[in-house]
Amino acid sequence: MIRFSLLAGLFALIVPPLALAGEYDLTVDRVKIDTGEFVKEGIGYNGASPGPVLRFREGEEVTINVTNNLDEMTSIHWHGLILPFTQDGVPGISFPGIPAGKTFTYRFPVVQSGTYWFHSHSGFQEPDGAFGAIVIEPEAREPFRYDREYVVQLTDKHPHSGDRIMRNLKTSADYYNRQQQTVGEFFSDISEQGFMTTLRDRLAWGDMRMMKADVEDVQGFVGMINGKGPEQNWTGLFEPGERVRLRFINSSAMTYFDVRIPGLDMTVVQADGNNVQPVTVEEFRIGVAETYDVIVRPRDAQAYTIFAESMGRSGYARATLAPESGMQAPVPALREPARLTMADMGGSHVMSHGDGANMADIDHSGMEGMDHGNMAAMGHGEMNHGEMNHGDMAMMNGNARDPFYAPGSGLTPTAASGGKFLSYADLRAQQPLYEDREPTREVELRLTGNMERYSWSINGVKYEDADPIRLRYGERVRFKFVNETMMTHPMHLHGMWSILDVGADQWNPVKHTINVQPGTTVYMETEVDAAGQWAFHCHLSYHAAAGMFRKVIVEGGPESMSSALDSVNATAGGDL
Amino acid sequence: MKRLVLVTLLASSVLSPVVSAQQLMEDTTERKQALRVWGAQFEELEYRYSDDDEELGVWKADLFYGTDEFKARWLSNGEYAIDEQAYHTLENQLIGQVPVSEFFDARAGIRFDTPEGPDRTYAVVGLSGLAPQWFEIDASLYASQDGDVSAEFDAEYELLITNHWILVASVDASIAFSEDREIGVGKGLVSTETGLKLSYDLIDRSFSPYIGVVHERKYGDTADLARDQSSGIEDWFAVVGARLSF
Amino acid sequence: MRAITLFAATLAMSISTAAQAGGSHGGGHGAATGQPGQADAVSRTINVVMHDNYYEPESVSVSPGETVKFVVENRGRLVHEFNLGTPAMHEAHQKKVQMMVAHGVIQGGSINHERMNMDMGNGHSMKHDDPNSVLLEPGESAEVIWTFPDDVSLEFACNVPGHYQAGMYGEVTSE
Repeated sequence: MIRFSLLAGLFALIVPPLALAGEYDLTVDRVKIDTGEFVKEGIGYNGASPGPVLRFREGEEVTINVTNNLDEMTSIHWHGLILPFTQDGVPGISFPGIPAGKTFTYRFPVVQSGTYWFHSHSGFQEPDGAFGAIVIEPEAREPFRYDREYVVQLTDKHPHSGDRIMRNLKTSADYYNRQQQTVGEFFSDISEQGFMTTLRDRLAWGDMRMMKADVEDVQGFVGMINGKGPEQNWTGLFEPGERVRLRFINSSAMTYFDVRIPGLDMTVVQADGNNVQPVTVEEFRIGVAETYDVIVRPRDAQAYTIFAESMGRSGYARATLAPESGMQAPVPALREPARLTMADMGGSHVMSHGDGANMADIDHSGMEGMDHGNMAAMGHGEMNHGEMNHGDMAMMNGNARDPFYAPGSGLTPTAASGGKFLSYADLRAQQPLYEDREPTREVELRLTGNMERYSWSINGVKYEDADPIRLRYGERVRFKFVNETMMTHPMHLHGMWSILDVGADQWNPVKHTINVQPGTTVYMETEVDAAGQWAFHCHLSYHAAAGMFRKVIVEGGPESMSSALDSVNATAGGDL
Repeated sequence: MKRLVLVTLLASSVLSPVVSAQQLMEDTTERKQALRVWGAQFEELEYRYSDDDEELGVWKADLFYGTDEFKARWLSNGEYAIDEQAYHTLENQLIGQVPVSEFFDARAGIRFDTPEGPDRTYAVVGLSGLAPQWFEIDASLYASQDGDVSAEFDAEYELLITNHWILVASVDASIAFSEDREIGVGKGLVSTETGLKLSYDLIDRSFSPYIGVVHERKYGDTADLARDQSSGIEDWFAVVGARLSF
Repeated sequence: MRAITLFAATLAMSISTAAQAGGSHGGGHGAATGQPGQADAVSRTINVVMHDNYYEPESVSVSPGETVKFVVENRGRLVHEFNLGTPAMHEAHQKKVQMMVAHGVIQGGSINHERMNMDMGNGHSMKHDDPNSVLLEPGESAEVIWTFPDDVSLEFACNVPGHYQAGMYGEVTSE
């Protein structure tokens, strides 16, 4: 009781008194997960996986009682939420974890709005099903409107447990890869490209002992939306003409999805919970742990398929928007499996048969070149107004080249419809969250690994051997991600925003998870405004577990904050 | 005076968290430990039928436990003659394995041979890994308790007919640097075993039945020793078996 | 129910004005939408505030044949448009505005007037000077005087890419 009032007192210090307060209960349970193709044991919340959608209000003081009904430790991390680090839910970094049979009470003020999610940060509980969605209603009116909304939470449910998958990958990194190049592909490549070119290509890859097909480490999953497999077909209802907000959350362990709704344009209005200047696309790629909110306006009284193809095309999730339940629309076929190119190896030195034009690293200046320079160079004099609207526009929409992929990358996405595919370069903050200022220093993080050994690291050092990254409260750090691997890594910094450098200065979008494609360099900036210690890792479950993980310590901070943190930290264990 | 106190207070409050930040909890969870992994597999578990109507049960098994930095490994392989009810070969190796390059591991340990006939114990050092163009390589050097030194070289290549039908070609060769007449080993190239097997991944990669042919041959002095014992120096086998992993 | 009505109206409009909308980007949309009004005919002033990315108010009703002065003020941090037209006209106009963005005429919170006057060939420029619309930088305000026809079902909309789709439009209906 005394402890409680102490805590309450502390929070009163941190935030001004608020009228709003909500109490929520979550239980962590063993559950059965039915994908429609197989049923498997998993972990869920309140008896189901995915868990409930938690609906908070900006400005609310939330109390969440989490009861662990498992026979092992658990934890809940509130992905993307800005909160005191002791409430961030990472065992060993924010708190000791929630022992079996115990209840832990999270308390924090909700200081933001948008679409987020929560998941266990213990072992492989998250890939095993321990996640749910968070929707935070804003205090102010949103810069867009809609008549109804749905959470569309994606996952890649695998018949194997997380432990088993990790073990299999460590034993044989290509254990789950069933898209490897075959004898048949060798001959079909010969007929397309000629014998010598094909042979040289195979020898070049064989020499590196790397696979062109190494796009998805873990195949054999069933893509699910809101807990339903493709056959179970989750359906959201609408009235024709209504504006529908879809809150896409990728809660996959490992899988990137390319999302489209044939027949509907999607206007992206939010990325990772933060509003972006609306951009209308026909397809977008959602990285692991990212969220995108889109608005669609189905005008016809027909069904529309939400089709989410995995980036490597080894599986898909599918759902339906329809005026009446039971209606369905055609489900598109999977496209050809993606193949990496030499560009993805970061090895432009071996660039084979003119895969793509050379372009400098994606840095600030390169980006600006993309936005303005190239356009200016197009020769306006010859441009015909009518044609401009169609042909050239499609090119400018960036289908030919996305600066966030290595030039000539085999992963560069294109829309199935031939229309606009969302790029990071299209994202602009709706409203700058921070004043734009020069970063105080740069921290280079090389994303490294050894595919054959399935070990993943940062700057060549796995978490087990790594010292924490130390930041000073109040500085603005520019992180330089250099992806030296041939895999995409969704990098997630806890506790503080990741301002993705798309070359738009103050309008750079604010995210919590940043994809770094193979062979590219990506910058993000962080205003170091949260004291304490935080996790910073690749959000692919098995990459994080294999070492691509860091602890970040923020040194210093305002008095009220840090002393409060100390006290909360001291009592954190006692709350169990 | 009052202002001074305030300033001191502020200063101490700014400085103190620096200290406290460093005193925050240590990560002692499993994540901060080296990832420990185990694996067990039968690379071969097969029935062989020779052109001399000889029937053999053959296995090659591998059990390991450890981290990226160090693995303990038990390798076992043997040939059991079904008619004779006797082990033609029975080898067990206990080794430690450490990475030495991006794609190769070094190994060291002990090998115990306990087939029908005289036993042998060897010290083992070796190298295993993935060579360019996807050749799986194992090279080992053995020194017996009597000082006889021999070497073994294995190479394997998997050809993907499809992503489930896999043709595996393998060559094993052993070489002796001195004669060990008691176990029928002559100096020089001792023997080769060449195999071609077509497997199908039936359950993930944990159960992959296969059929194939295996050719065994002895050479040089070893072949002469075999002839003296009036046993064959060359065999062709038809093979049925499965690769298993757990 | 309201959504359905709107939908029906949209459909009707898009049929009746499709030919016109496709034909020209200029003003003079004919009797169905009304015409630029004279200052001395103004019977009423309606203030419309642009925010990011919505209007206040989001619906306006006018009397048959009324001439209205819209005083439009951009209180947002982004460039916005106030454009009177049918949904089909807006859709056609969006392509032009898309091009303005692609050519750097509209850059988030500012308008590059130099680029706007750029010669696009065929006598076209990217000038935004139709009488039924205004394009405003943050802090700017402007007036549009418009005489509505007897039967009105129009939208005022912002055709900066994505804004209309995000919901930045309002309805103009007959009283």
